[in-house]
Amino acid sequence: MENKQSSSPASFIDSTIVPGDVVLDLSSMTNQTIKLGGGLRQDCDVISAMKAGTLRFSKPNKYWIESSQKRYVPCVEDTVLGIVVDSKADNFLIDIKGPTLAFLPVLAFEGGTRRNIPKFELGTLLYLRVVKANFGMNPELSCTDASGKAAEFGPLKDGYMFETSTGLSRKLLSSPTCPVLEALGKKLSFEIAVGLNGRVWVNAASPDTVVVVANAIMNSESLSTAQQIIMVEHLLKNIQ
Amino acid sequence: MEKSGENEMVTPGDVLGRATDLKPGKGAYVASHNNTIYASLTGLRRIQLPPPDSPDQRPIVEVTGHKAHGPVPEPGSVVIARVTKVMARTASADIMCVGPKSVREKFTGIIRQQDVRATEIDKVDMHLSFHPGDIVRAVVLSLGDARAYYLSTAKNELGVVSAESSAGATMVPISWTEMQCPLTGQIEQRKVAKVVS
Repeated sequence: MENKQSSSPASFIDSTIVPGDVVLDLSSMTNQTIKLGGGLRQDCDVISAMKAGTLRFSKPNKYWIESSQKRYVPCVEDTVLGIVVDSKADNFLIDIKGPTLAFLPVLAFEGGTRRNIPKFELGTLLYLRVVKANFGMNPELSCTDASGKAAEFGPLKDGYMFETSTGLSRKLLSSPTCPVLEALGKKLSFEIAVGLNGRVWVNAASPDTVVVVANAIMNSESLSTAQQIIMVEHLLKNIQ
Repeated sequence: MEKSGENEMVTPGDVLGRATDLKPGKGAYVASHNNTIYASLTGLRRIQLPPPDSPDQRPIVEVTGHKAHGPVPEPGSVVIARVTKVMARTASADIMCVGPKSVREKFTGIIRQQDVRATEIDKVDMHLSFHPGDIVRAVVLSLGDARAYYLSTAKNELGVVSAESSAGATMVPISWTEMQCPLTGQIEQRKVAKVVS
């Protein structure tokens, strides 16, 4: 990645930042539009960090902090796994591991009308998309994509759900495919749904497979690519 | 009767003093048959010293300080409220002043999505109109339900009067939908009141 800083503090791109670090001095960069992503805030003329993590930069002008937490902060257009906690007249109340419960409007399904409102039991696991996430308001969810189609959103039947950190969820969803999933996919066949709120759901024909996949994913958080492949081979040897 | 050092709570009918020593003020009256001053409201008994240039030098006794004496929102009155919660189709606000007077007890108001502005009322996004903590000028539509008055900001001179940006500075209005933070230059959307100077 190209380093655009020429002033004396060394560029912080790709290095670990703690809250309070000044990462950019705007007085030395005039006439540029900079886009700030999560974890950064503007304080008059300097950009300082609000979260601990790694500073990332993407051309031409996007800066953000990558970090991994157990808590989830809802963001628009995130895909999450939610659990139904209550149902009201107009919406379902869903727990998405955020600061507040989220609302899923009763009509937010493909072909949803007042006559065919789905009935979800308490505790149903749903794959959802965040539509509105403003500070101070309960987030709003939907079971359709932006164009109104169902697109795999909705209830997840059977399977096993476990919780991870948000950083691991993002790694599992990155492309090219995460090494753990690729190594598991070569030998086992399973279905997986990853929520950016730190929840992962796995389903397979036999319970042994589900347990192996879940354990492999949970172990892979701090391992490098090679270590992940070795760990998966080790786990698969024990069941075959 | 001697003047008591502390204010005591009185109820209607309590004796406040003699008309020869004191003059009745707010919430007190003289019963002419025995020249005694009685309280007509509930509250704290207060004594006010008379202005030095008046011919009658008796101190004035009055009954004030109870929250029932404060102003109460009526339908049609303009109120100043602070937004407490913004939800998908309503915003809750705490009414702080009715007209020019501040209220003595807490009144809650609700601004519904259809009462935020006069045009395109079904396309209103509550989050682009109010944020928690904003001070708004609104008019009382009705007494509403048991929980809250119904308020409306559907006029040019009604809406957000003062708001804080996410950086913590008081924002400057730039149009009827936008306010700008003076520290960071960021523009935030609100339903801004047109202040006629």
